[in-house]
Amino acid sequence: MYLQSRRTFLKGAAFSVAGVAVIKGVFTTDAIAESVSDSKFTNTPSSLSFYPPVSEWNSFKELDGNDWKRGGIERRGVRSPENPDGIKVNDYIIVPTVCSNCEAGCGLTAWVEKGGFKNNILTVRKYMGNPLHSGSRGRNCAKGYAVTSQMYDPDRIPFPIKRAPGSKRGEGKWVRVTWDEAMAAIGKKMHETLAKGDEISKKQIMYHVGRPNENGFGPRVPQSLGVDGYNSHTNICSAGAREGSIQWANDDRNAPDWAHADLIFLQSSHAADAGHYFQQSAGLIAEARKRGAKMVTLDPRMSNSAGISDLWLPCWPGTEAALYLHLANRILNEKSIDGKDLVDHEFVKEWVNWDHLMSNKDYLNKMVGYGYISKVPADDNYEDFIEILKELYAPYTKEFVVKECRLEGMEYKLDQLWEMFIPAGAKVATYLWRAGAIAHRGGWMNTRAGFLPLALRGAMRGDIGGVSWHHWQEISVAGKGDKATVAGKHPGKTDAWNELAWPPEYPISTYEMSHMLPHLIVDDAWHEKWTKRGLKIPKSIAVYVPRMYNPVWINPDGFRWIESLKREDKFELTFNLSPTWSETNWYCDYVLPVGLAGERNDQQSTPSKPQQRIEFRQAVLRVAAEKMGWKPKKPARATLEAHMKFGLGEVWEESEFWPNLMVDYVDPDGSLGVRDYWASKKDPSRAVTVPEYFDAAMSLLPRLKETATKMYKDEEFPVYCYMRDHGAWTEKTNVYKPQEEELKVDAKYVYAHGHKYHKDEVEKDQYGVLWVKDGNFNKSIGIIKDKEVLGGFHTLSRKLEFFSEWLTEWKWPEYAIPIYPRGELESEKMVHLVSQTHHKFMKGDNEFALNTVYRLPYNIHTRSVNSKHLMEISQNHNPIWIYTKDAEKLGIKRGDAVKVQIQDTLTGIKSGYFIAMAVPTEATRPGVLACSHHAGRWKLKNSVEIPGFAHRLGIMSLGSPEYAMTNDGKVGTLTPIDGIHPHEAWQFKEYNKDLDNIWWDGLSGAWQNAVAPSLPDPVAGNHGWHQKVIITKAGADETIGDIHVNYENNYKITAAWMDQLTRPLNAQDKVRRPYHIKRPVRPSQKAYEFNIKDV
Amino acid sequence: MNNDLKQEQTARINFYALLSRVMMSEIDEGLLKSIEEDENMLSFFPTYKIWEKKEKMSRTDLIEKYLNVDFTNLFLLHLIPYESFYVRDDQMMETGGDNPVQQIYTALDFQVELDKARVMSADHIAVELEFMYMLCDSENKALENEDFKAAAEIAKIQYGFMREHIMQWAPMYLLNVKSEAGTAFYYDVADLGLEFILNDFEYLTELKNNGYNYEV
Repeated sequence: MYLQSRRTFLKGAAFSVAGVAVIKGVFTTDAIAESVSDSKFTNTPSSLSFYPPVSEWNSFKELDGNDWKRGGIERRGVRSPENPDGIKVNDYIIVPTVCSNCEAGCGLTAWVEKGGFKNNILTVRKYMGNPLHSGSRGRNCAKGYAVTSQMYDPDRIPFPIKRAPGSKRGEGKWVRVTWDEAMAAIGKKMHETLAKGDEISKKQIMYHVGRPNENGFGPRVPQSLGVDGYNSHTNICSAGAREGSIQWANDDRNAPDWAHADLIFLQSSHAADAGHYFQQSAGLIAEARKRGAKMVTLDPRMSNSAGISDLWLPCWPGTEAALYLHLANRILNEKSIDGKDLVDHEFVKEWVNWDHLMSNKDYLNKMVGYGYISKVPADDNYEDFIEILKELYAPYTKEFVVKECRLEGMEYKLDQLWEMFIPAGAKVATYLWRAGAIAHRGGWMNTRAGFLPLALRGAMRGDIGGVSWHHWQEISVAGKGDKATVAGKHPGKTDAWNELAWPPEYPISTYEMSHMLPHLIVDDAWHEKWTKRGLKIPKSIAVYVPRMYNPVWINPDGFRWIESLKREDKFELTFNLSPTWSETNWYCDYVLPVGLAGERNDQQSTPSKPQQRIEFRQAVLRVAAEKMGWKPKKPARATLEAHMKFGLGEVWEESEFWPNLMVDYVDPDGSLGVRDYWASKKDPSRAVTVPEYFDAAMSLLPRLKETATKMYKDEEFPVYCYMRDHGAWTEKTNVYKPQEEELKVDAKYVYAHGHKYHKDEVEKDQYGVLWVKDGNFNKSIGIIKDKEVLGGFHTLSRKLEFFSEWLTEWKWPEYAIPIYPRGELESEKMVHLVSQTHHKFMKGDNEFALNTVYRLPYNIHTRSVNSKHLMEISQNHNPIWIYTKDAEKLGIKRGDAVKVQIQDTLTGIKSGYFIAMAVPTEATRPGVLACSHHAGRWKLKNSVEIPGFAHRLGIMSLGSPEYAMTNDGKVGTLTPIDGIHPHEAWQFKEYNKDLDNIWWDGLSGAWQNAVAPSLPDPVAGNHGWHQKVIITKAGADETIGDIHVNYENNYKITAAWMDQLTRPLNAQDKVRRPYHIKRPVRPSQKAYEFNIKDV
Repeated sequence: MNNDLKQEQTARINFYALLSRVMMSEIDEGLLKSIEEDENMLSFFPTYKIWEKKEKMSRTDLIEKYLNVDFTNLFLLHLIPYESFYVRDDQMMETGGDNPVQQIYTALDFQVELDKARVMSADHIAVELEFMYMLCDSENKALENEDFKAAAEIAKIQYGFMREHIMQWAPMYLLNVKSEAGTAFYYDVADLGLEFILNDFEYLTELKNNGYNYEV
């Protein structure tokens, strides 16, 4: 209706509301000052790639943003004595560091304002990317930029606190202590424990690491104490993927070359939008797609990744292995359009251990017995191997996969997948990590089967655009600063084996059975059972140290954690090295506040592309102050002193804390043999310093050392100085086909993996593999191919192991090759490979598989929950996604509160329920609900009083609602009682002027982790995160966020999974665990010895 | 100033104010109530007037569940309401002092409180419309004071600003808003904005062609 008449618009004159009442009024008038012509500043930067050159990092001047955005320098000019109204110029020291908000370790730069130095105030005005970090390339995700809001979180714990004398754990009564008071108490307890010197005491100090974000320092801590005390969170995170990867390659994760792939083949949203190294991976994936690469995502949920993929395949969760083996079937049994085989025979023949399978007639006979193949081939050549595979995988037809993966109506998608998979050739990149591999019983087979089609196509060669293995790209030297210490050598291996972390039911788990710790430690029957057989298992842990970890909240069966942690007869002394308040803190004896991204000193290495790189996270206020001339009184405590002096508070970090604790409190007189590993070689009277230790550690990189010593000729610690000033170093690029690298061999020796072996001690077997003695064991070091001595893969066969021969010896022979049940009979028999949420367990319309393992990309860890910036973009209440038609059938509408009841499918026992908000959507497949287990934070108080301190300390007052809890030893409940009330910003006031603008109620879903029982996979040991659930509409008296858990039932379920599904060690077994596979901290060979009697 | 001119000026002021306001930030209940209860105003929102959801939902729900969502889509997330995005070949937003619109404000001693406006740069559609509001208001005051020379000078600025800036991109942007709008309200806002801007430019062109002689 162009144009309306002027007459029509004149009606506007009669509006009942005048313009002046409506207008926002964003203009002010302002007289213009004269511009300063000789300024270096321009109105608009010429480029958005605005990283100052490194040469200016010690003093970089930038116009203040608040003035800048009002019109550039033409508005008021640049501030000077002659022009006091001009735009302020900030003078920054730019200190590189590394983000610590997920595992990716992206580079950051902290922009520290220099102006406050003379007044003893140093402030980080912003965190930006570090362009020198060749992985993140100057880019960060929301979590990276939110580091400032974590650093200046008004609820940061400002000093060490201790459970008030006379109070019980969980009462929430705290007193302030100094770091030295805390260290004195902790050191005394550790000293007393270690002084006993018996086997039990070597299992009574446990260091439980959440997100390590460093490469080796943590393991050095328990190792130097001579204890078997390292515990990781791997079994709730990535154990399934690691197990499958180890069986293929004896490396615990793969390493894709995203940027050069022609097909990005994802299972879950990991890598592209939320998971490991995602910010770095996502950039590389985007570049590949810009170049024309296709992207396929297997995920029951339409994640961000699935949404932008060329193909979304919503397989029923836990059945993906069937699809992978279907691909293998087609690759083996079909030809290309020009009639050629689709198998990359050159690669498979050369680098897959077919020869080991074909020469193992006993196993081939077993395969016949299992019904895998019809007969043992007459010959043992490669061609017969391929014929075996053709027969083995022929049953994985399209029809089978459609039925098994519940892809009815989506058959065409399988054709589309094939049409993308085959043209990509060997340039298929994947990263099989969380999701399917961790969520299920048998999840590890997801990884095992997933790599098979890639191997057959040659994509596992580690070549351009394909898939290699993680540790070839990872540099772990953080535990190797030995030369800076009095000992001058690495701590030895302990002779103890800690059954609380490595129980005999799970000899090949990957790795520590940490989610079962609170169960095992209170399980007297389990203790008695193994004690009778001859094991020495402690009944308590003397000192338990979670580090950057919140096991109470993130592990399954949280009430069991609470019950166990409250027992002082089981956990005698506990302290949490935690940068923020957490649910676990509430039940500890001490909370020791440690640093975040710009407040720590860690060497990290994150393989996100085919290169070897390290990054150096550092305490930026300390570095900035030292660069401006400040000197600490005690150099081994420089970080703590800097944080106290320049306004951050009594915040410390591990690379100074542990050396000081060991030297001054655990072993002050050296009688335990611990002190020398942490005392400074330069000044043995004190602990080693950060520059001393990390210079020694990072000097182990030859190219870095060479460059740094040239650049910092006059410095005492040149390598440290290089990393201090640059933050990242790329030691090697184009790490392709590393298994094909030749070993150095001279007249006398073979050199492999940093060792040299006299030729007389090297033996060659029938497959060309070179073996040497390794104490009581043999280890392979390389393989001869066409007269060349190559390193090979890290398996015993030095090849990728289609046939995992050692698995046959470790009680799981039927699963020693990639396999998946092909029908109901096998499904019953192969229970270990069938997900607890398989569709066969879903009988009624209201029974569903609950998909829990996906991350919300902006808020994934305990330490970021009180970041106001991340919380603001996280407020979706983590609803429960339900397929539209499923919701219709049950009469569930958007926003309805639904009761989600968890039921175990092995025992039929119900755990309890949580109440969630339903969102019907087409973005989850029929029959499968989705609700991330990364949300649902809680607290029991909004703040605590510290006697003698003027201010109450806020507790997650921006990030979590307040809940009321009941628990009686059998049943636990939690219900939200109040929303967000920002606590008084008595610290970091300037940064928190906007606290009155917080609009969210903080409720981020229910604490579903507590409802879930621990479901330990019998092979990998991972907790199976997905659950079978029964949903109904919530009752009138139930609110979103409520949980109700029968954790006595959960205990029974966990016990049933352990008792019914595992194949424990017995008197015939002489070794605790295959010696060749990884243990994060390996004890001595003596500790591996296993001698028990059957009772 | 005769009644016709007065009516003309008041109408222009009111339209620029209204359009600037609804494109700058989310609608509030008070303003929505005013629109709904004023037949005159509501007549400029014909689709919204008969929108089913308006009848069925409370204003609070309507705003929180529909209008704010649509506003976010149209003005914050998916469409880019900035002149520089539309007129630059590289489609980059110019947020610095080199922004030509910013330079006009600067030259006229105007400063935009970007944080109050909650925008990234001074060439946001709502800021440009508020600038026109201010010019119209000043012109009106000059006319009330019978300072026709000053009024004409301000009208010249209005014409130049419309021709060189608003007309260069706002119609395209508003057509996109019309096409993307998910609610009757913002569909009407876009339609009204488009019609009014084109109409007002015709008016200013006519005024210019008359040598800025106001018929007083």
